[in-house]
Amino acid sequence: MVHLSSLLLRKYHGGHVAIRLALGGATNRPFYRIVAAYNKRSRDGKYIEQLGSYDPLPNIYNEKLVSFNFDRIKYWMGCGAHPTKPVAKLLGLAGFFPLHPMTITEAERRIKSEAKTQKEEEEDEEEKQAEQ
Amino acid sequence: MFQAVVRSRTPVVRFLSPRAGVLLETVRGRKSRTDPKAKSKAGRIKTPSPVDPVEMVVLKERFTEYNLIMRALRMEFKEEMLRKRYEEETGSLAEERAKQESEEHRSLMAWNDAENLRLRKIRELRVQKEAEAAEQRTREEALLRQQEFERYIQEKEMEILQLQEEAKNFITLENLDERIEEALDNPKNYNFAVNKAGKTEKRTMLQ
Repeated sequence: MVHLSSLLLRKYHGGHVAIRLALGGATNRPFYRIVAAYNKRSRDGKYIEQLGSYDPLPNIYNEKLVSFNFDRIKYWMGCGAHPTKPVAKLLGLAGFFPLHPMTITEAERRIKSEAKTQKEEEEDEEEKQAEQ
Repeated sequence: MFQAVVRSRTPVVRFLSPRAGVLLETVRGRKSRTDPKAKSKAGRIKTPSPVDPVEMVVLKERFTEYNLIMRALRMEFKEEMLRKRYEEETGSLAEERAKQESEEHRSLMAWNDAENLRLRKIRELRVQKEAEAAEQRTREEALLRQQEFERYIQEKEMEILQLQEEAKNFITLENLDERIEEALDNPKNYNFAVNKAGKTEKRTMLQ
């Protein structure tokens, strides 16, 4: 059987490199590795290079730990890699990329909903006071 | 609907062609194309999720800005990478490195040649000694062979002399009558007895 090299395979399948999160860890304990892999490979399968990690569960100091290898991320972005949405969001929060629009919009939505619930609570209290 | 379908995320195609880089995405549902809709979902009308137009406009603006910045960043990174690669290949440091490497290569080659010379000399000495030893051995073997041959010849001569001496006592046609009479005149007795202690007794009852 002819063993095609990875470059030829890529050309044949027409994929691209993606910087994405590969899930690992155990049951009820996820752990993501930020990884440069071909687009068509499986999520946890063979990757080209690991560029960092992301722990979604907060630790004892209530921090979520993220690590990046900025040098290699720059290299892969220069080679034409596409980051996925969560990776782009994380990098935006880190300051390496501009802040993702969805983070801003979701924060605004959250503030609005919190303001709304606060207003509703205040109205309920006023009603209760009015009743009393 | 009741077909056996792999529910887990691991693709089935992996077992069929493990070498292929592409893996088919697995089936998500249990139903095939021909299965009818469920009774509970008979009157369901799928509506798109509600969108706030103001927010959408703002979002679109933000996205265009974001994409612009991302494109610019990507080009920057590409440029940096290319510059780094160029410098690595044809920079000032690269020339020095190349020079150092060539010098190292030359010195190593010189050392290699010296080693080869030394080993060749040793080998030549050893080969000489072995040749001399072989010559010595051949000479000694030749000597031995000669001695063997002479000894053999001497032995054969001795045997010939012995035979000649014995030939004097042979019984021929002329001696036959005399010898017969001689033998009849002197009977020889070869009988003997042995004692338990091991002593032989040659005296017997014969005349």
